[in-house]
Amino acid sequence: MSKIHDNFEHILEIDKLSISFFTRLREIPAVMDFSVKVAPGEAVGLVGESGCGKSTVALGVMRDLGKNGRIVGGSIKFKGRDMERMSEEELRDIRGNEIAMIYQEPMASLNPAMRIGKQLMEVPMIHEGLSEHEAYQRALEVVTDVKLPDPERMLKSFPHQLSGGQQQRIVIAMALMSKPSLLILDEPTTALDVTVEAAVVELVKDLGKKYGTSMLFISHNLGLVLETCDRICVMYSGEAVERGDIETVFNKMQHPYTQALFRSIPLPGADKNARPLVAIPGNFPLPHERPPGCNFGPRCDYFEAGRCDHGIIPMDDVDGDGQHESRCVKFREIDWNAPITKADTKQKGEIGRVVLKMDKLKKYYEVAANALFGGGETRVVKANETLSFEARESETLAIVGESGCGKSTFAKVLMGLETATDGIIELDGKPIQDIPINHRDTQTVADVQMVFQNPFDTLNPSMSVGRQIIRALEIFNIGDGDADRRDRMLKLLDLVKLPRAFADRMPRQLSGGQKQRVGIARAFAGGARIVVADEPVSALDVSVQAAVTDLLMEIQREEKTTLLFISHDLSIVRYLSDRVMVMYLGHVVELGSTDDVFAPPYHPYTEALLSAVPIADTHVEKEHIVLEGDIPSAMNPPPGCPFQTRCRWKDKVAGGLCDKEVPPVRQLSDSHQIKCHLSDEELAKMTPVIKLATATAAE
Amino acid sequence: MEQLTWFGAYGASFAPLLMVFITLAVVAGLCAALLAFTGSSAHASFSLVNGIAVLLLLFVGFLYVYSGLTGSEDGGMSLSTLGRILLVIALLGIFAAMLSYFMGTFFDDPAAFMGVLFKWSVYIVGALVLLWLAVTLIWQGSGYDAWLAGLDEGAMPPAEEMAHQKWVSAIETRGILASIVVRFWPVWTALVVLYALSIHYKRKLGLYGKLFDSTIGMIGFGLVMFWVFTAVFVGLFDLIATHAPLDQVSGMKNKLPGTPLRGAEMAEYPFYLLGGDNLARDVFSRMVEGSVIVIRIAPLATLFAFMVGITLGLPAGYYGGKLDTFLSFLANLILAFPVILLFYLLVTPEIVATGLPQYMAAVLFIFPLIFCAVLINSRFRIQPQKNYVWLAAVLIPLFLFYASAINDSGANSQIRFWPIDFFDIPGGILVVFVSVVFVNSPTVFRIVRGLTLDIQTRDYVAAAQTRGEGPWYIMLWEILPNARGPLIVDFCLRIGYTTILLGTLGFFGLGLPPESPDWGSTINEGRKLLSVYPHPALPPAFALLTLVLGLNLLADGLREESLKD
Repeated sequence: MSKIHDNFEHILEIDKLSISFFTRLREIPAVMDFSVKVAPGEAVGLVGESGCGKSTVALGVMRDLGKNGRIVGGSIKFKGRDMERMSEEELRDIRGNEIAMIYQEPMASLNPAMRIGKQLMEVPMIHEGLSEHEAYQRALEVVTDVKLPDPERMLKSFPHQLSGGQQQRIVIAMALMSKPSLLILDEPTTALDVTVEAAVVELVKDLGKKYGTSMLFISHNLGLVLETCDRICVMYSGEAVERGDIETVFNKMQHPYTQALFRSIPLPGADKNARPLVAIPGNFPLPHERPPGCNFGPRCDYFEAGRCDHGIIPMDDVDGDGQHESRCVKFREIDWNAPITKADTKQKGEIGRVVLKMDKLKKYYEVAANALFGGGETRVVKANETLSFEARESETLAIVGESGCGKSTFAKVLMGLETATDGIIELDGKPIQDIPINHRDTQTVADVQMVFQNPFDTLNPSMSVGRQIIRALEIFNIGDGDADRRDRMLKLLDLVKLPRAFADRMPRQLSGGQKQRVGIARAFAGGARIVVADEPVSALDVSVQAAVTDLLMEIQREEKTTLLFISHDLSIVRYLSDRVMVMYLGHVVELGSTDDVFAPPYHPYTEALLSAVPIADTHVEKEHIVLEGDIPSAMNPPPGCPFQTRCRWKDKVAGGLCDKEVPPVRQLSDSHQIKCHLSDEELAKMTPVIKLATATAAE
Repeated sequence: MEQLTWFGAYGASFAPLLMVFITLAVVAGLCAALLAFTGSSAHASFSLVNGIAVLLLLFVGFLYVYSGLTGSEDGGMSLSTLGRILLVIALLGIFAAMLSYFMGTFFDDPAAFMGVLFKWSVYIVGALVLLWLAVTLIWQGSGYDAWLAGLDEGAMPPAEEMAHQKWVSAIETRGILASIVVRFWPVWTALVVLYALSIHYKRKLGLYGKLFDSTIGMIGFGLVMFWVFTAVFVGLFDLIATHAPLDQVSGMKNKLPGTPLRGAEMAEYPFYLLGGDNLARDVFSRMVEGSVIVIRIAPLATLFAFMVGITLGLPAGYYGGKLDTFLSFLANLILAFPVILLFYLLVTPEIVATGLPQYMAAVLFIFPLIFCAVLINSRFRIQPQKNYVWLAAVLIPLFLFYASAINDSGANSQIRFWPIDFFDIPGGILVVFVSVVFVNSPTVFRIVRGLTLDIQTRDYVAAAQTRGEGPWYIMLWEILPNARGPLIVDFCLRIGYTTILLGTLGFFGLGLPPESPDWGSTINEGRKLLSVYPHPALPPAFALLTLVLGLNLLADGLREESLKD
């Protein structure tokens, strides 16, 4: 089964593709009039919000649309051959051999009952008829290529024995086993941590060059696409709205949606007053309720009745060279360089007295081997180590760290779901660290509330929205009588800018952003003074994120709330927080005001985190730091400094101190502390990770 | 009076046609299934082998029909029969040729063709049945007219006798099947009203309304409601049944279906529609009376089992740890015990005398009380006023019911503390109830525990915890409502198991008294003479089959619809 060697100009050529899904009620068009070309060795990014049809395109290329999906128009040419005319056998031969796909969830792509080696060897054995020995050699080679330590042991292990990042590397290795000419990556790093994501992206880029593979990179993250792709195609509601070279599209965008998308994401290089976030108004249209004319029309700032709302709007060439196209009737008239108009810059609330104080908080878990009879050795998981900080009224304290760093445990202890092992938590001067939530008085419980990460999980699906808010009011003893509580509930809905009619809706009738708003309303039902927001926007679409973030900040201004904002997204942290706390393996490695943390000297981990964040701005230059390996398990932390296994500055510290001792907390300035052995001279040598290109030019 | 025929006066004209189309449907259905198996997918080209296979199967099918229809007379196939078969095949060939000419796709795909053939045969069978029923029910006077004509002129009998004669001859015209259909008229009316209302308001009725989007679910629900309505009309209004379930009529022992009663009174139903059993009782009446017992016990026993399973499963899953280990161990222990042996033990007179079933009832029946108390208290904990009103309104009637249920004024009773004893549950039924609950609750416990383990990791549970809700509120109001989908489906299936369990118990002669008309006992009684007289055992078996099938289809439909949004 050899590869196809025809004469072709493009690896993949999608021309006016339309895909529909057929349900009992109606035909639902998922992709309409979509064209893209992928040249050999080129990486093309497909960007859009969830539901815009980008994954459907990938499945269409693989011809894996399920029972009710069908290609209703257009053609897909692979290496110059029309895939429509291929037989099942030919298609099977192409899948996995010529076109490989990498999915979002690595664990779902690997067979949990098969050893890694066997899964990898299967690919060339089926497609190329290699012998077992040859296949093993190939597997070993590829696993080495994806930079996994100890390849032979890797091949012998089962998928669950590897970490998420390692699993995704194995999935990539599997895709590369047959040396495909096209690699489709469907959100390959969304499930991974930032530093791991950076390493995987780096790997994909290198491998693409090494193997000469073309790539179709599907993502919702503009920054990631900027780092990996040569060309980009922006999709909205089933259509490609703008297409062109990555530089051109990022710098000279020609479609209102692309512009709105860029304006709704925070850029770490920019100041929040000079470049405020602008949320896209309205909601994403449902596939069967698309407006006539331009799909983006109802949410567009440049909408003009009569022109934008009827007929079919075709893709139009911008420069006449076929390199940059936009699906907008007005793009030639719009002044793309006009500054963002923001009605009023709101003054941030005055930061007040200390509300919450943590002093040397520790939380250890004991994990016994045998739960029933208590035998076996008990192991201690140190989830939080000597956490000390203060939070003030109307202040936003961001807590940054990757999964496993102990931020959720810290939240649990603060809420009273767990009690602290050691140390003190003071709320208004009263210690609360040893009081579990059912012994706390109502006021304390109402004062400390939480906003959760997953909007689809945060509301009870079988209770109406109003009922859930009223329940919170009841439990906090607010309002007298049912009528008063209902009134207050409606006011809370006003507060989070939801129509009052939503009170009687069930959560499944709401979109992700709306659910998150209800979650916020519920948290503020008891007049909460401290709100722990656990990645409140990370699961939302880009265009909705800005609106929810703004809402949180606005409520904070009005209610003088202390916001503990847990996040791994440094862009948004820089945008909204006053102070930042960086956590790693249960330790606070750096704590300081936002400006201090985002400027050198950094803690080495902060430096790596900053470098790992993908930034959707071509003017930004980043220093390239890729962390090796994964986060160690909290069950078995390294001796000495927790970060020493991945630190690139380790050799700058004399005497191997990093291996032996946990570094002390050092006060760099009044508002800035770090936990590191590096000497002041070394710290002073650090350069900024993120630089504006214009700024460097000026120097 | 003559023996009733199955299809009545007009049956002879419809039966052959019906047979032809039923056979056609069966053959076409089989062909379609076979062809789908042999791998001719939607766009496979017509292969010669497939074509020959289809034609052969069709040929065999028709051979079977015609030898069945005509063979009974002369024992073999006559030349004319063969001629007819050839004619039909030729006609079919022409039909197929026309189809393939007009719609080129059809004979490309014999499986699809067979599918269409099957579908239309089923439609035609349905239409024929309806037509036969309509004809039989509309023109039912011919026997009466003949009787009138046979009378001497001027010697008209009294009006009562005329009316009676008219009634009898109407039954004779209808035959057995149509008469049964007529006996069930209240059920049909109720079903039509229920379906009309439900379909009309289905968008406002939540999951129940969605059931009417699924054909399977509708069929299942129809079968279940058929027996529920039957039980209601028989049990409360004394309709449908033709005789009392224990009445014996001399000369009716083991008589075939449709046998007329000798010397029947004017008001009495003059036939045993489904024959008589070995004690000369009416099989039809016993079958419909049996539904009352089954419908009364099975859902209630299942409900109790669910109360026990939920009340124990929620904390086991939510708290985990030692409580979970202990309760799961207990559940496994009960599950490991052989069910039938347990039943035998429970009904042994010595054991009954010790009061064990009563004590078990006292323990098991208290769970609904606990469940309701916790449910209300956790919800209204913060509003004491409302809390007390609700608790009183629900718990007082429940407690009276509970006290009456476990107290028994009988001589052997061990529990007799409550002076106001509203009712006594017959010992047999109590044992059945206790055993069914005892055996089913561990399985429910395990399902609820598993669901709780899954749901308690959700953020809305964490949200409830962080606003200081008590554990029982979280279990009953945050977790349980979201576990309802699988639980409703399991409830339907479990009623089915319970029904079969009741049948099994009845079959072993356990629990219910020997003369009880419940389906299990009647099947057991009919079993003894099964090879000679199958008719007493078949109707209750068929009834049991349809009810359990209905429950399973209903569960399927609910599962299917609850997955959609």
